[in-house]
Amino acid sequence: MPKILLMEDEEIIIGLLQKKLDKEGYEISVARDGEEGLNMIKEIWPDLILLDINMPKMEGFRVMEEINKNPTLQRIPIIVMFDSPDSVDLKRAQALGAKDWFVKTELNLQQILNKVVEQIGR
Amino acid sequence: MPKENKITNQKTAKFKELENAYSALLNVVEDINEEKQQIKKDRDRALVIIDNFNDGILVFDKKNTLSFTNPPIESFFEMKTAEIIGKSASALAEIPIFESLMNFLSREETKIFRKELPLKKNLILEVTIIPLTEEKEEMGTLIILHDITKEKTIERIKTEFVSLAAHQLRTPLSAIKWTLRMLLDGDLGKLSPEQRDFLEKTYKSNERMIFLINDLLNVTRIEEGRYIYQLLFCDFLEIIHSVINFYHGELERKNIKLELQEPGDKPPRILGDEEKIKLVIENLIDNAIRYTFPGGKIIISIELLDEEIEFKIQDTGMGIPKSEQPRVFTKFFRGADAIKMETEGSGLGLFVTKNIVEAHGGRIWFQSEEGKGATFYFTLPLTRPKME
Repeated sequence: MPKILLMEDEEIIIGLLQKKLDKEGYEISVARDGEEGLNMIKEIWPDLILLDINMPKMEGFRVMEEINKNPTLQRIPIIVMFDSPDSVDLKRAQALGAKDWFVKTELNLQQILNKVVEQIGR
Repeated sequence: MPKENKITNQKTAKFKELENAYSALLNVVEDINEEKQQIKKDRDRALVIIDNFNDGILVFDKKNTLSFTNPPIESFFEMKTAEIIGKSASALAEIPIFESLMNFLSREETKIFRKELPLKKNLILEVTIIPLTEEKEEMGTLIILHDITKEKTIERIKTEFVSLAAHQLRTPLSAIKWTLRMLLDGDLGKLSPEQRDFLEKTYKSNERMIFLINDLLNVTRIEEGRYIYQLLFCDFLEIIHSVINFYHGELERKNIKLELQEPGDKPPRILGDEEKIKLVIENLIDNAIRYTFPGGKIIISIELLDEEIEFKIQDTGMGIPKSEQPRVFTKFFRGADAIKMETEGSGLGLFVTKNIVEAHGGRIWFQSEEGKGATFYFTLPLTRPKME
């Protein structure tokens, strides 16, 4: 069962993503801030990280910078979730190695699931 | 009459004349003194006014030498008048705090121009540069510096507030969108037709809210100078097709015909920010549909000009009254009749649209007559590949 680490602080968003991805057979772990997320990566070695940019303690970009310091962690694909990015944010996410990204208000859960499948299959 | 008497009489007359002349002269001198006093008084009064002015004043003479300042200049620039008066503009430009102001002055401007200047921490000035002329002869330059720090601070706080509110609103809106979709997709159980109907309407309202928040965020970004463009070569016609496709359902629902007239030759690709150009076309089509009555028609035509590509969208809608035309591109503008016909709309779309077009080096304008529809035009510069 592919493992996904979801880094997100909004409970309702967590609940919805968890329900959708759970139903599709993924194993979801949740970190509610960047620091917790970084610690959890090494515990569960996820197949994919769903990363919110606006998080307490450590924002998503910083999390990516930390991940990039470790070549093994760097191989885990990351999909970045934005609330309202501008072009600079998108460029930064790409430069930091994000495999894909989306703006939360622009996609439905099904479309997000499609992005997950594209990265790690079912 | 004896000769001597005659001479005496003549002398007396001369004396009288001289006396008269003398007193006349005295009068003149007195008048001049009075006049002088008056002039001095006037001058002193003018100086008192200028000295007590809150705005800073700098006057440069014909040779670009600083010839006059008033007290606020000392506090703005933290220098004594004696240290700067008599200095040439180029000498002043060597002093760091004067550098950016002197750069404005070096522009060859014959008209009055205004510019904002953040001079130092907590001081933003509005600089007005006025060329002084007397009977077409250049006499020098007057610079007025007006402290707008407070206004700018309020403006910044307002923009920040809108930006924060809009950001904060987006998370719940995503949550609502996802939840409603889940319900509509039957992921959370079967729905009755009535439930589905209500949920679909709620979903649409939510989408509109997302659209509005996006508009607000775009406006705050434009105002903060953070509306950033990512320029890439893109296919203008393809962008138009994709936007039109998106409006298919809406057009059918309102029974409005949309005709697209493409140019005979395929236009070269344009250098632009695809997402933002899409938004421009969306806004214009959205407006055309919104204000066109059912059964109406919208014609979009694309024309290739020498150096630019022109987009034209003509509708048979309600048009824009003359009195409202000057405000069409301003923020939060909504036509009085438009509000009656369609209560929704942020009044931000055309403001954002104009900013995007102009940031691409294009132009935007419209023609309209009340009751007879409106035609909006915009152009984008073509960057043709260099001929080998």
